[in-house]
Amino acid sequence: MRIWALATNTFREAVRDRVLYSILFFAVGVLLLSVAVQELTIGDQAKVVRSVAQGAIDLFGSLIAMFLGISIVYKEIERKTAYTILSKPIARWRFVVGKYLGLVLTLAVEVAFLLLLYVLLMTFQQKFPPGIVFVSMGTLMLELLLLTAWATLFSTFSTPVTASAFTLAIFVIGHLADDIWLFGNQAESESLRQMARVLYWALPNFEVFSLRVEAVHELPIPWQRVGWAAAYGLAYTSAVLGLAVAIFRHRDLK
Amino acid sequence: MASALSDPDIVVRTEGLRKVYRSGFWMRPVVGLEGLDLEVRRGEVFGIVGPNGAGKTTTIKILTGLQRATQGMAWILGKPYDQPETRLRMGFLPERPYFYEHLSARELLDFYGRLFDMPGPRRARRIAELLERVDLVRFADVPLRKYSKGMVQRVGVCQAIIHEPDLVILDEPMSGLDPLGRALVRDVIMEERARGATVCFSSHILSDVQELSDRVAIIVRGKLRGIGSVHQLIGDRVRHVDLTYAGEVAVPGTELRSDDATRTVRLAPAQVDQAVAAVVHGGGRVLELSPVRDSLESVLLDEVERARPVDDKRLGVL
Repeated sequence: MRIWALATNTFREAVRDRVLYSILFFAVGVLLLSVAVQELTIGDQAKVVRSVAQGAIDLFGSLIAMFLGISIVYKEIERKTAYTILSKPIARWRFVVGKYLGLVLTLAVEVAFLLLLYVLLMTFQQKFPPGIVFVSMGTLMLELLLLTAWATLFSTFSTPVTASAFTLAIFVIGHLADDIWLFGNQAESESLRQMARVLYWALPNFEVFSLRVEAVHELPIPWQRVGWAAAYGLAYTSAVLGLAVAIFRHRDLK
Repeated sequence: MASALSDPDIVVRTEGLRKVYRSGFWMRPVVGLEGLDLEVRRGEVFGIVGPNGAGKTTTIKILTGLQRATQGMAWILGKPYDQPETRLRMGFLPERPYFYEHLSARELLDFYGRLFDMPGPRRARRIAELLERVDLVRFADVPLRKYSKGMVQRVGVCQAIIHEPDLVILDEPMSGLDPLGRALVRDVIMEERARGATVCFSSHILSDVQELSDRVAIIVRGKLRGIGSVHQLIGDRVRHVDLTYAGEVAVPGTELRSDDATRTVRLAPAQVDQAVAAVVHGGGRVLELSPVRDSLESVLLDEVERARPVDDKRLGVL
């Protein structure tokens, strides 16, 4: 109940933040623009709409995850709102996990809203989207879970500016993970190969979660990949959150 | 130790509490608290006084689980201070509290009530009671960002006692409040005591501490310099005597004020007989002799003076 109280309060704080609506406004704008883009396109116009719309949900979801996550713990300490919470029967891990779950709830509502808009758009423009579109949103949520966990981790020990730089780096590297692997395999130097492998395994691979190509081309649902993405995402997220808890547990509130 | 821990009359107990902070680029150690031994008894109002940086807030932050002691141990209601469940029967108001500004007082108190696992109906009843008590019913649904400092402090008091705790800890609860706000906090402290709760508070306003506390701890430079009832700490000692007289007579002592007709001087108690005799023999008239007794403030200043290292005294550093 205490974790749920923390999560719902975090959700309420997020949905009363005007910046969230600014980002959402842009996301809705890009979704609607995707319809206009098809008029300028030669070829399979439907695919272009789907591609732009899927990409917009992915990008703005990630932006909101980063924006909310980077200050989630830091802000509580800086504004001293954590003082009246942690002096109550709230363990440090409950605080971090409760705040995190509040963000996840916010992201889930935001993705669901954009998905609803996308489905309406598709239904009016083309047809009701196939199952792969919904599954790809599920794997996007897995990606956002992990990205938010990283942002939460950084916010336990650094300022929002530093945390945003770190999280952005993780986001970019996470999408280039397959390239790092490829680079490692092609490198002539053994030490470079080793370094690339270490980086590949230590840093997240966000491409694992991407089913955008399958969704745009309306391919069958690759259940095996979905299963692997779920296992990878949940395990990695738990590990990162565990690290965040371990760091925050030893922090003195000055 | 076991007997002391199981003693239901000891609500707070600290043993050799020490806190060392790391400060600056080189992480130099700074001692915030040095071997603090305290006992707060059930049902009493316990005041903690000391100058800025003495260790009052550090003590409170350790007791409330916001900081960890470098050494030593503390028990709250017989349980270790660093266990979250220990704080189930404790309420806390930090110094200059900050709350979620997007919430109204009612929403905020409901949130804090949920953190104590209070059932919904009990939360609603208690929130209504408290808002009525601190005269915030009219503003109950207004976001806190629109509140004045005094109103925020009133909400802060409410969140500290929402679950009717056995122990209430208040860090500088009167800080920055107007006389009405201070009177409200004083009343709440006495009401909590009357309910049977133990109240532990720190304050710079020594007259409030003197008036409200059953016992007081004086902390200076991280060390406990005195503990006991106000009477025990102050005693009956007469510190000075102020003599007001009329007449053109020179009397030794520190002059406090003078006009054409009268003069008031501050004397050490041993000087009084000699000064009175000088006035009478010089043809003057003694108008008033007022003994100035010790106060908590004078006792605290004495302790600060005693705790000053020799080098500070030589350089004139407070």
